[in-house]
Amino acid sequence: MADYDRRSGGGGGGGGYNGRKRQRYRDDHDDDRRGGNQRRRLNEAPPHVRVRKQLLNIAENPMRPWHEEVKSTADLFTDNWEDERLRANFVDLVLQLSLEQPLKSPFLAAVVLVANLNKPEIVDMLLAQLVSNLESRLRDGEWRDVKLYLKLLACLQSCLEGEGVFPVLEELFARAVDLQTASSEDTIGTELVKIILLTLPYVMVSAPDQWQQKAADLMDKTEIIASEPHTLQALIEPYHAENEDDTAAISQSLIGLLQSQLQNEANNGWALACLPRPWEFPLKDVEMQSRLSSPPKHTLPPISVPQTVVAGPRPLFPEVYFSVYREQDVESVPPVSNAAASLIRDALLDTINVLDYNRHVPARQLIEVDCFFAPRTFAPRATPFDLLRNFEPPKSTWKPEDVAVDAVFSQLFQLPNPEHKLVYFHSVLTEACKLAPAAIAPSLGRAIRYFYRNNHHLDLELVNRFMDWFSHHLSNFGFTWKWTEWVEDVDLPDLHPSKAFIRGAIDKEIRLSFAQRIKNTLPEPYQALIGPEKEKETPDFKFADDKIPFAAEGREIATLLRKKASDEEIQPVIERIHAMAIDNNLDPLVASTHVFVTSVLHVGSKSLSHVLAAIERTKDRLTDIGASSEAARSQILTSVMEYWSAHSGVAITIVEKLLNYSILSPSVVINWALVGLAGKTQGEALAQGHIYELTFNTVMKVTGRVRQLVNKRIAAITLDKGVPADDAETAAAIEQEVGAMRSLFKDIEDALVAFATGTKDEIMETTDGLDSTERERLVKRWGERWLRVYRRRSAIEEAYLIEREKEREKKEAAAAAAAADTKLGETAAVLDRDGDVVLGNGGIVS
Amino acid sequence: MRGPRPTVDRLDRPSAYYSNRNRRRNHRDSRDGDGDDFKNEEENDPLKDATTLYVGNLSFYTTEEQVYELFSKCGEIKRLVMGLDRIQKTPCGFCFVEYYTHQDALDCMKYIGGTKLDERIIRTDMDPGFEEGRQYGRGKSGGQVRDEYREDYDEGRGGLGRAIQADRLRDTEKQDRDDGDYGRLK
Repeated sequence: MADYDRRSGGGGGGGGYNGRKRQRYRDDHDDDRRGGNQRRRLNEAPPHVRVRKQLLNIAENPMRPWHEEVKSTADLFTDNWEDERLRANFVDLVLQLSLEQPLKSPFLAAVVLVANLNKPEIVDMLLAQLVSNLESRLRDGEWRDVKLYLKLLACLQSCLEGEGVFPVLEELFARAVDLQTASSEDTIGTELVKIILLTLPYVMVSAPDQWQQKAADLMDKTEIIASEPHTLQALIEPYHAENEDDTAAISQSLIGLLQSQLQNEANNGWALACLPRPWEFPLKDVEMQSRLSSPPKHTLPPISVPQTVVAGPRPLFPEVYFSVYREQDVESVPPVSNAAASLIRDALLDTINVLDYNRHVPARQLIEVDCFFAPRTFAPRATPFDLLRNFEPPKSTWKPEDVAVDAVFSQLFQLPNPEHKLVYFHSVLTEACKLAPAAIAPSLGRAIRYFYRNNHHLDLELVNRFMDWFSHHLSNFGFTWKWTEWVEDVDLPDLHPSKAFIRGAIDKEIRLSFAQRIKNTLPEPYQALIGPEKEKETPDFKFADDKIPFAAEGREIATLLRKKASDEEIQPVIERIHAMAIDNNLDPLVASTHVFVTSVLHVGSKSLSHVLAAIERTKDRLTDIGASSEAARSQILTSVMEYWSAHSGVAITIVEKLLNYSILSPSVVINWALVGLAGKTQGEALAQGHIYELTFNTVMKVTGRVRQLVNKRIAAITLDKGVPADDAETAAAIEQEVGAMRSLFKDIEDALVAFATGTKDEIMETTDGLDSTERERLVKRWGERWLRVYRRRSAIEEAYLIEREKEREKKEAAAAAAAADTKLGETAAVLDRDGDVVLGNGGIVS
Repeated sequence: MRGPRPTVDRLDRPSAYYSNRNRRRNHRDSRDGDGDDFKNEEENDPLKDATTLYVGNLSFYTTEEQVYELFSKCGEIKRLVMGLDRIQKTPCGFCFVEYYTHQDALDCMKYIGGTKLDERIIRTDMDPGFEEGRQYGRGKSGGQVRDEYREDYDEGRGGLGRAIQADRLRDTEKQDRDDGDYGRLK
């Protein structure tokens, strides 16, 4: 055994294998001299596989010094330069990684910079491909990709001839100026300035002490655009101030902040302490460092920026900086005066938004954010918040978990919409919390408290997003939350925003679980909020009670429905109800509708499948009712909401399906909720989460439909066939839908203005214990908050229509030009290529 | 072709279960380790526009309403079919969720698959579409096959595997009988 140990030690690495493996090895190759090498060869993959692996995992291991990792990867690459597969893959992989895992860009750049010392050709190969990719992204308006390629390029500034990346930044700025002078509502120019400002710091760390004047000149120029408040900023402001004194409720524009943060950095000699510099080698590697400081230089091929830049596939809006940790006595995240706030946030947001196809990876990179920034940027992972207080400068108090979680929340709470479905951000937080519960959970706790505290002056749409996330998140973690700390708020009036949140959140928890389960997770005072009706799986059938009018008829209809009796058999009962209603001075159709709909719901009460089947079977009668009178239409909805009042989720799903069948129309839902119910309840309905959800879903259904039609019309235009023959009909149909959408928004506006301005008569007639002026104030505030949500939605849809119309005209013109070109007999290949460019811009976005 | 192999695996790909079944059916082997393995995928991939998901590892007690509540977060649900025990016609721990769009189904794979519903980690898989008959368990005793021989005790899925339960039941009955036989003359 002794000789064996010695041999494996001499073989270079791998003393720690277990005996069995060693034994097998020995049996297979009983040759002492070759042993060590042999094993290495057996265990090692070919170089292109190893380089790929090293690049993919770069910077992930906190125990491995950056310069070592960078050098070993670069050497592995240049040592195997003859390997064609490796050479071909390297450039593509570096570019791909810089888009797919943006936190790693500086490290990839460092590998390239070191490789440049041995094989300078690689940089030329990379630059050629990078420029070509960058140009195509510039054409398509893929602004994030543009930013990420520029970031990689900026990190390579030290090996570029002349001014390197500056000319392209200046070119971008020229476009921004043109756009901003043309329109104050322009958002592309704002985006370009953001890209310039976010690229600049990487230039400054890549090639320190050289470009300060150049940077100062550029920033003098961006100042005008960056510091001017954007006209659309009010539209995306996440806070909704209660009154003029409510100054906490104003966010700062992202580029405005960036401009001033970078100004601070400029005044401070561009210290940029948070950014990693993996191309710096320790003092003992003085030779390496000196080679790196005078590397072979390369000319950046000219980059052509199109004269007219396009908005790209995602609608652009100005952005604000959002943080849930801004009110703390200890800075657990970078303060807004520090460029680190923007730079770290930006890299994290790209990571989150790019990697939505595998949430585990962004979750892990969020938790390990400290691996990708300069050492000592953050406090140690999982440091309890209270311990941060004892940290003396220069020790950082920035908690990596807080920084990470903050970034996700900034997306979840982005207006008008984040890039992905809201549930994606839920899933990232869930995953992060699963990976490092002890570190992440307390950060989430403080975030939750922030939202709860600021609930009253957050935009109402965001409050509902918070409620949705909160309940969904808890459902993934055994529904545990420290409810005791809000226990005093349980007795607040239902109109109070905190109480409204508590009620709404509990309701949503129950919907994901069941009442008894949730009740067990709540302290006693909350349990009164879950009435006995919530614990019943199916509601009582009111017509089982003979004291209720039309009880016998209700039961009879239910029996007939169960037997799947024909409509002719049901009709006599309906007529009997009509006759009785007239005798009692009731609207006959309303009375029969209530009995009929309630019976249908009762027959289908076992599950959603049952009720949907029951509706499907009685669809004709329901459609007829809906078509006959406004009151009857409204009654269908009233009956649904009444029957399922204890299970709002079921009610909402049923209404969704009734809308699909056109048994109900969107305006019925809106009027029922905002005029009828809100009036009847003296505004209290506005404080109910499920009523908000019902109306919001309805409006989104309408706007979604309009968008779908508009995009379908654009997609129907093709280069070879031109504008389809039925385009005029499509246009007319769209116009009708748009008209309906506008009138829906108008209805909403009219109904809500009455509450928001306090002119709704009902408010005055107070009945409960609440002081009437306080009640009036609360209702008025709900009215304002609702109004703001729908005014924004309306404005966004109008803006969307304008954008798409431009796109359609452009495509129509392109199709016409293509048709003309074909006549001229140009080659089809050229047409196809041109066509692709136009189509790339016109792709459907949702 | 869908471009180069991503540096991070995608969660909206069909599971190995589906791919393996499919591959066996088509007698082809497209996985070769490196390079891009998307190239060989056929044009007529049955999942190309799939809008349906198979959802597994549900509790027997999870209701349709709960499934709606969670899965609606990825888009409106067109149809939900609960998996039923072939014999008892009670939920047996799986379902099919159909969306209106392919994108919603993909998003569901990415954002909901592997998270919890009713406090269980659920599994989602792309599905070419529901067909009548597939709502029933294919296990011997009516439930899902996986619940036949499961050796762990899973309260949400009827305790131990059914076959094991049946064995035990037989054993106890036999024992009862044996006990009852005690002392009887044979």
